Amino acid sequence: MADAVETTAETPAEIPAEVPADPKTELREQAADALARLQAELGDAIVEHAAAYGDVVVRVRRDAWRRAAQVCKDTLGCDYLSFIAGIDWMPTPAVAEEGSGDTSTPAQPKEQTYGVAGSDGRYQLFAVVMSTRRKSWRVILKTDLPDDDLHADSWVSIYAGADWHEREAWEMYGFVFDGHPSLRHLYLPSEFEGHPLRKDYPLLAREVKPWPGLVDVEPMPGEAADADDAAAAVDGGESA
Amino acid sequence: MGLVSSGKAPKPLQHLLNYSRKYSLWMLQWGLACCAIEMGAALAGPRYDVMRLGVIPFPASPRQADLIVISGTVTDKMAPAIKRLYEQMPDPKYVISMGSCANCGGPYWDSYSVTKGVDQIIPVDVYVPGCPPRPEAFIQGIVLLQQRIMSEDPAERWRGVTREPIVVG
Repeated sequence: MADAVETTAETPAEIPAEVPADPKTELREQAADALARLQAELGDAIVEHAAAYGDVVVRVRRDAWRRAAQVCKDTLGCDYLSFIAGIDWMPTPAVAEEGSGDTSTPAQPKEQTYGVAGSDGRYQLFAVVMSTRRKSWRVILKTDLPDDDLHADSWVSIYAGADWHEREAWEMYGFVFDGHPSLRHLYLPSEFEGHPLRKDYPLLAREVKPWPGLVDVEPMPGEAADADDAAAAVDGGESA
Repeated sequence: MGLVSSGKAPKPLQHLLNYSRKYSLWMLQWGLACCAIEMGAALAGPRYDVMRLGVIPFPASPRQADLIVISGTVTDKMAPAIKRLYEQMPDPKYVISMGSCANCGGPYWDSYSVTKGVDQIIPVDVYVPGCPPRPEAFIQGIVLLQQRIMSEDPAERWRGVTREPIVVG
């Protein structure tokens, strides 16, 4: 513990000194700074903001999605796009009836819940941008996409690295990025139909086949031997 | 070849041919996932060293290979490439499917992207179960395949005779 304190004392001032008392809800010093600058630039385009483990999560209006990236890059100096991803908040449909013994998937929520900074609906875009020069300098951006209009502005002209991330979100969730140079399949075969990371995408194998853990059960090591021993014991008792 | 394909090769000649095929299996590696690590241990590790059994794992192209080992998760996107390279291999050729994913899809049995078993694309001679199988299991698969090659009538393949696949373990 003493070593840790010493190390902290020697580190340059720019490295975060302290993690906030409750990192889940409190912003780190840099994150609060970043949020203040974003608020000054974006104004009421910010729908909501919250803290997640010291970092700031900013939910912006959909029409400000591209502008938010521009501000992050130009004003905040976040020169690196970590990733863009989609979120589908719909609860996963139950894969098996209750009490069937199918334990292949963990218990799913029954109602739609949302993560940090909330959401208006089922689909969200989610991105993290950060600085390669300044330590602990990152912003998490979110925006809601209405179910009937899954369009958002592309970030490719701001962050060139957004290209593949947007292609992935396009094929996995069906989000359309306006201004993207070529939205085509990245991971999936080009004739693939559907958007497999949507929660309502049917897993066809489950439609035609029960979970192998139910129908193809092998005894655990020791179980079979125990059964044999028990049988042997019974046999021995009878013969005696 | 005419003699062999007509099935009229004398027994000692068949024995000699099988013997030489058995101990010079050129193996096309198809490492797709974590099973490839175990395969690598069996191939290159000094503890297992499958080359002592005459398996040479470095053919320059599938056209020089006798054996293909599918070790790992076969996806629908990879499947056409596997079929294509398998078709480039000259007969007689053998396939070892290594690990649960290649055998039947394994833990990805309900996935949208995984082929549920490489035997849907190419005929498999030896299944090595496990997730992943230990190098010993893989080597046992090789030995069982060599035993089958030794007892094989080289003309069988031309006559279209197919045998039941071997399952290790």
